[in-house]
Amino acid sequence: MDMKISEIKMSTEEVGKWGMVIDQDLCTGCQACVAACAMENNLSFVGEEDAGYGRSMHWIRIERFWEGEYPEVKMTPNQPMMCQQCGSAPCEPVCPAFATVHSNAESLNLQVYNRCVGTRYCANNCPYQVRSFNWRDYERPEPLPNQLNPDVTVRRRGVMEKCTFCIQRIHKAQDKAKSEGREVMDGEFTTACAQACPASAITFGRTDQPESLVSHLMHQGHGVKHLEDLGTLPNVTYFKGG
Amino acid sequence: MIKKLFDWLKQPLGLIAVGIVFLAVFSAAAYGIYLTQQSPEQPVPEFPHQTHVAFGIQCLYCHPGASKGPAAGLPSQSKCWACHNQIQKTVDSTKLAPLKEAVINGEPLEWVPVAIVPDFVQFNHRAHVAAGRNCEECHGDMSQVAIAENPQVMNMGWCLNCHIEAAGDDQEKLIKLSDCGTCHY
Amino acid sequence: MSEQFSRRDFLKLAGLGAATTAILTGCGPASRYVKREPYQEMPEYNSVGQSTYYATTCRECAAGCGLVVRTYQGRALKTEGNANHPLNLGKTCARGQATLHGLYNPDRVREPSNGDWDAAIQVVADALKNNKPDEIAFLMGMTPDHLFDLVTDMADAAGMNAPVRYGALGLFEARATLSKAAETLFGQAGLPFFDVGGAQVVLSFGANFLETWLSPVSYTRGFTGLREAKTKMRGKLIQFEARMSATGGKADEWVPLRPGTEALVALAIGRLAAEIRGGSMPRAFSSVDPLDVAEKSGVKLEALEHIAEMVAHSTGVLAIPGGAALGQSNGQAVAEAVLALNAFADNLGKPGGVYLSALAPNQSDYSRPASAREMQEFVEKMASGAFKVLFVHGVNPVFELPASLGFKEALGNVGQVISFATFPDETAAEADFVFPDHHGLESWGYQRVATGTALPVLSGAQPVVSPYYNTRATADVLIAAAQLAGGKFADALPYKDEVEFLQAKVSTLMNEADGSFSALDAATFMAYFQQHGGWWKNSDARLAPASSILNSNIDATEAEFAGEGDFFLVPFVSPTLAEAGANKPWLQELPDPTTTVMWNTWIEINPETADVLGLHNDDMVKVSSEAGELEAYVYLYPAIRPDTIAIPFGQGHTAYGRYAENRGANPADLFGVHFNEAGDLAFAGMKVKVEKVREAKSGVGLARLESRMGVYGEALGEEH
Repeated sequence: MDMKISEIKMSTEEVGKWGMVIDQDLCTGCQACVAACAMENNLSFVGEEDAGYGRSMHWIRIERFWEGEYPEVKMTPNQPMMCQQCGSAPCEPVCPAFATVHSNAESLNLQVYNRCVGTRYCANNCPYQVRSFNWRDYERPEPLPNQLNPDVTVRRRGVMEKCTFCIQRIHKAQDKAKSEGREVMDGEFTTACAQACPASAITFGRTDQPESLVSHLMHQGHGVKHLEDLGTLPNVTYFKGG
Repeated sequence: MIKKLFDWLKQPLGLIAVGIVFLAVFSAAAYGIYLTQQSPEQPVPEFPHQTHVAFGIQCLYCHPGASKGPAAGLPSQSKCWACHNQIQKTVDSTKLAPLKEAVINGEPLEWVPVAIVPDFVQFNHRAHVAAGRNCEECHGDMSQVAIAENPQVMNMGWCLNCHIEAAGDDQEKLIKLSDCGTCHY
Repeated sequence: MSEQFSRRDFLKLAGLGAATTAILTGCGPASRYVKREPYQEMPEYNSVGQSTYYATTCRECAAGCGLVVRTYQGRALKTEGNANHPLNLGKTCARGQATLHGLYNPDRVREPSNGDWDAAIQVVADALKNNKPDEIAFLMGMTPDHLFDLVTDMADAAGMNAPVRYGALGLFEARATLSKAAETLFGQAGLPFFDVGGAQVVLSFGANFLETWLSPVSYTRGFTGLREAKTKMRGKLIQFEARMSATGGKADEWVPLRPGTEALVALAIGRLAAEIRGGSMPRAFSSVDPLDVAEKSGVKLEALEHIAEMVAHSTGVLAIPGGAALGQSNGQAVAEAVLALNAFADNLGKPGGVYLSALAPNQSDYSRPASAREMQEFVEKMASGAFKVLFVHGVNPVFELPASLGFKEALGNVGQVISFATFPDETAAEADFVFPDHHGLESWGYQRVATGTALPVLSGAQPVVSPYYNTRATADVLIAAAQLAGGKFADALPYKDEVEFLQAKVSTLMNEADGSFSALDAATFMAYFQQHGGWWKNSDARLAPASSILNSNIDATEAEFAGEGDFFLVPFVSPTLAEAGANKPWLQELPDPTTTVMWNTWIEINPETADVLGLHNDDMVKVSSEAGELEAYVYLYPAIRPDTIAIPFGQGHTAYGRYAENRGANPADLFGVHFNEAGDLAFAGMKVKVEKVREAKSGVGLARLESRMGVYGEALGEEH
């Protein structure tokens, strides 16, 4: 299918499909989500030197910042940060290879590894800094590859990657529901991070279905979407709490 | 040195040498490609798909995963032996000796898959079977071949042609079936 | 010339041809490079192309969380929490997630060190048979319980020394002190259970209950209950500690008190609260002078009064004594003072209060891991040559015990050391034989849930994959060896194998009432036990005893500190690595929750202090105590007292595989041998010196995640 340039447009308003609500008041920063994501999505570990360069492959990271000085010092509420699956994503229009494309079917930002040529334009244009680039073919000595999830591509050097909202789990749930002749139920499946979170700080689900848990939470009123004024239409809502 | 080389190449003998070298490289490459398109050597030599089909065995008997999930799967050797064990001819057959040995020694048979997509493609058999596709539409008529062969190059254009055709006028289905994220993640 | 040229170039061109072929064939079917092995015999419960899920128990710490492991064609792919397990309700911590990097670790012990299991079993049998029973010693880790029971049975029958259990987490949690305090408070030893979820105001005295403390997943769920404002008001957490832990980072109020004054502060708050509330002053609080406490602790009197106000006026006040507060010379008094606050808040045995944890189903008495003092006695026996043979399983004492206790040196006086280590750790390196046990995910077993849930739970473990290497279950080795040794050993373990032993143990629960399931025969019961991931009772079995602690005197003085130096040392367990995580690469690459450092050890110093000492981030410094010294990078940590430094425990291995070896430093090297009254090590009672070794160099230093986003978030351009 050829795509003409004229057909590409920045949407200004989009009803998302999948979304997340993160309660920062509950997040303890324990890193269970980070580890769960790494295990589910075949993330490479890069070692100390590359990690020191900021090249670690975390698809989700927990940000914490300091406020004030001792003794009135405070840690800001832990902030899990991952791809916000923007409705109007800044990463998308800058990709010269159409590797960073919008999924119209699932309303997600896709990263198509086989198209990616590694320009890193998308990462530079991402205001959330949630994309990570494979600077090398990172070593995964035998028998560690036994643990790799067959539902997720193993990325190689020169490819950009980022959080997918566990699209493999979305597809699996949809496939199962379809084979049983029904719709996917709310809470039937969730992302790896939300499933692991011991504090239940992460809720994932359909934001376009008003009766879903995530929709209820989203519309409680005190949620914040990050950098919304950039017009990115993010699909992750944060409760700052406290 | 280089200049001498080019001077030499420009004379007739040199041109012929260039031609020979070009032909050699080209035919080596062509032979290489030819090799990749041949049915691979399987642990049971000349495994006869056509005989199995001729006996009326359904595809799903040996590859039951195709209707249930992503992978069609290979039969366990105990499944093979369950039938072959009862047929004296196949028990004694030298062609089936690898199977017999594997079963007796408890060692695995290593099959070489023929229809295979790259790692970055997430293919799901179940969805295709559920959509009414028959095995032979992609894998060819197994009643005609011994070792499975690939009747076509399984590339993205081939996938997408069929997807678009299947969607027809259904716009929603077209979006789903032509979405990058349907197969690549 | 032409001949020379053509030959050489022909080779080059042939190479080019081969390269062309390779490139072009790369576009052809990749079938040349893939082989597939179907099952030889597919298990009945498997289905082609479908994942199979097994329930088992996590062995990354002793809490005993239930796991459900996704396996696919015989490989373990992902661990998830067991949603039905009463302890963790489907959740896991980071270490539970990364347990697969232990299972498929490239540096596991792959076979018995003498090459052959029959010979190995003969070695074990000889060791049992040829020594007097009291010359045989077992040192075991805090998991798994079924093996501990097996060894206990054998030891009882043959008159051997009872097996000793130890784990570094037990040391940092000061379990002996907690248990002793529970005895003082409730008249019964055990692990107190703090119902954080039901509380309204939680005063935590250094308890890192959101990190590694006792049962972190369960306590984190409790924290969610505290914070969520569903049926009650949002609860508050107040943390008293000299260095802000990840738990302290979540606190609404962080009170940086001077180390060693925890007991005084607790009593002062009690006294002030009692004054606010009026009535007679409880005897426990009567001798303390809040003004004096304010001065000693560095906490302003107004701050104490403000907290006392909350304690006096709120319902649902809960006070928790944590490991670092107890691991001091006055640890016993700290525990009592903090528990007295609970008695004052009248929360004993009430929702949101303190209980005594339920004993597990097949447990009659509470048993705890050895305290440091008990380990010292053990090491002394080793050094005196009292042990001819020492078996070590599930623990790495050379790393996990303070070096000053001399375990490594004492090993030399033990005739024969046999290690059952799964990984090539420091202790295995010193052993005469290493007979590797399976990884936890390849193992049968059970674990008693010691605390964290209201129900008595026996968590079940089963192999989720078949063993990857030529390892063997230690229980099987011991059973086989006992039968070879004959006599009392064989009588003690009349089992065919580990599974039969398990069935004998577990099926005693079959006829107990009020269970999560029941069965008519032992085999079915066992099958359910594996399927459900354990067996538990359906009703709350926590004990809710009364206490007279308020009417007793609490002798609260400041803690004593050993060594000379300007700085208090706060050692803490790395929340991501804990005691045995350093060999799992993805745990190494998890940023520490407070500093975001990966892959190394750091020393936390207040920026003001660093200024005075002329220290900067990533400078290398030497920390020396009375017992030892170590070197590590400086991390300027804004949330630590200027008179205190902190070092995480978890790194500093000299063995334990490629990801752990020669990385960072071990703060246990600094610990001197001082105990509190309960016998726990006063690990937080040290004073240390800090010296600069060398300046930070560009490109050398700590790998931190925050370098990606800026310490104050400046790189994100956000309004933080």
